[in-house]
Amino acid sequence: MKKSYDIVIIGGGIVGCSVAFELAKRRRTDVLVIEQAYLTSGATGRCGAGIRQQWGSVINATLAFESTGIFENLEEYTGYKGNCGLNQGGYLILAYTEKEWGQFHKNLKVQHSVGIDSYAVEVDGINEIVPHLNTEGLYGATFCAKDGHADPFHCTYAYAGGAQRMGVDIETYTTVTGFVVKNGRIQTVRTNKGDVQANIVINCTGGHAAIMAAMVGDELPIYPERHQILITEPVAHIMNPMVMTFHRHFYVQQTPHGSVIMGIGDQAEPVSLNICSSWQFLEHCSYLITQTLPVFRNLRVVRQWAGLYDMSPDRYPIINHAKEAEGFITIAGLSGHGFMVAPRLANLLANHLTEQQDSLDINLFSAERYSRGELLLEPSVV
Amino acid sequence: MNSLRIEEHPVLSFERGEKITFFFNGREIDAYPNETIAAALHASGVRKLGESPVLHRPRGLFCAIGNCSSCFMIVDNQPNMRVCVMKVKSGMHVEEQKGKGELELIVEN
Repeated sequence: MKKSYDIVIIGGGIVGCSVAFELAKRRRTDVLVIEQAYLTSGATGRCGAGIRQQWGSVINATLAFESTGIFENLEEYTGYKGNCGLNQGGYLILAYTEKEWGQFHKNLKVQHSVGIDSYAVEVDGINEIVPHLNTEGLYGATFCAKDGHADPFHCTYAYAGGAQRMGVDIETYTTVTGFVVKNGRIQTVRTNKGDVQANIVINCTGGHAAIMAAMVGDELPIYPERHQILITEPVAHIMNPMVMTFHRHFYVQQTPHGSVIMGIGDQAEPVSLNICSSWQFLEHCSYLITQTLPVFRNLRVVRQWAGLYDMSPDRYPIINHAKEAEGFITIAGLSGHGFMVAPRLANLLANHLTEQQDSLDINLFSAERYSRGELLLEPSVV
Repeated sequence: MNSLRIEEHPVLSFERGEKITFFFNGREIDAYPNETIAAALHASGVRKLGESPVLHRPRGLFCAIGNCSSCFMIVDNQPNMRVCVMKVKSGMHVEEQKGKGELELIVEN
């Protein structure tokens, strides 16, 4: 770690590492990534790692569609020797109410306008895609074969390694303790290993982003929310797609290894930095998912854990310049789908910082939209 | 001599009860009630219980207390059964499991 950098990125997850890589690719290589523990130790390494293009708004659909394109060649793109584990088994999204089914048809129109190859599946066609699914109570489903999941660890290390080869420094087990702002500009990042001067600081700390931004006086409406997840013993391959429902708030997928990963969103989850597991989740999740997929009812659960969603009020990313400290940028509020949109957002932010053209307007994502009352609305979030 | 069962022990005594039989890969094998499947198989000289999923190497007892998943077998069509802690029953069908358990077996029943 040098005493001074052009850009300091805080957070070694998929967002921080992809932003570092994209900046380095644009010849901004005097970059330091500071990570509190090890790379992927926060939300990235705890996430379900789904890659879904079936969104209900043009912006999210575009972000996910263009990110998927990057995921498809991430090893070559970053020069990574490992395998990022992309498995495009599709996403099957279940409609349990008439209202949902109507919304899905609207979503499909949005997706088609962006170029996403998704389609509606009638109830009697669902078992052709997932043979063991209990179709009771269903109105239908939508499916996109190019959706899927990837390995969040390999993807992050692919970006990090690529960035390092271009000259980016990564400092793990380093905690940011404060900032020095002088004449309205960010000047110094204080860490437990000493001070670092910086022209630009990028806050990629997920559920901790609001706390970090508040240190320079930027109040952001991002809040952390615990989401739990469990994994079973491996069994022979039985299910290709990720199955998810908004109505029952769960997602379930079988990894290439054979273990089944599942999680549910708890609507009563309080705002907190708590990442402990609970037996209530284990019981509720097992019950709910085996209603839809009874084939999993005798599987043994081998592990459960939890991570933080970085929620924003309208479930859209926030990319915000702090007014109080010029040069301090927060990119967070990804609301549980940060992994799948990070590659495109990293491009957007890097283009913005290197003054290059981008097909998306970065100002759309400014937190000012909340004070103007112009919320972006996404109908399809678990 | 042929059996691994302990016949005489300085402290313990064994009340094994009446002999029963079960099937291993279709072959009839003797056992006693209250024995685990793994114990009965070992007593009959069967030590290879399955194969590893990737390299298909032989797998046998490892932890013997139901923790490690080395002794997974198919018992009455149910895959991934821990035979080191599962009691044998008369007429049971026990098969070697080659690789990861197939959940379809359960669905067909």
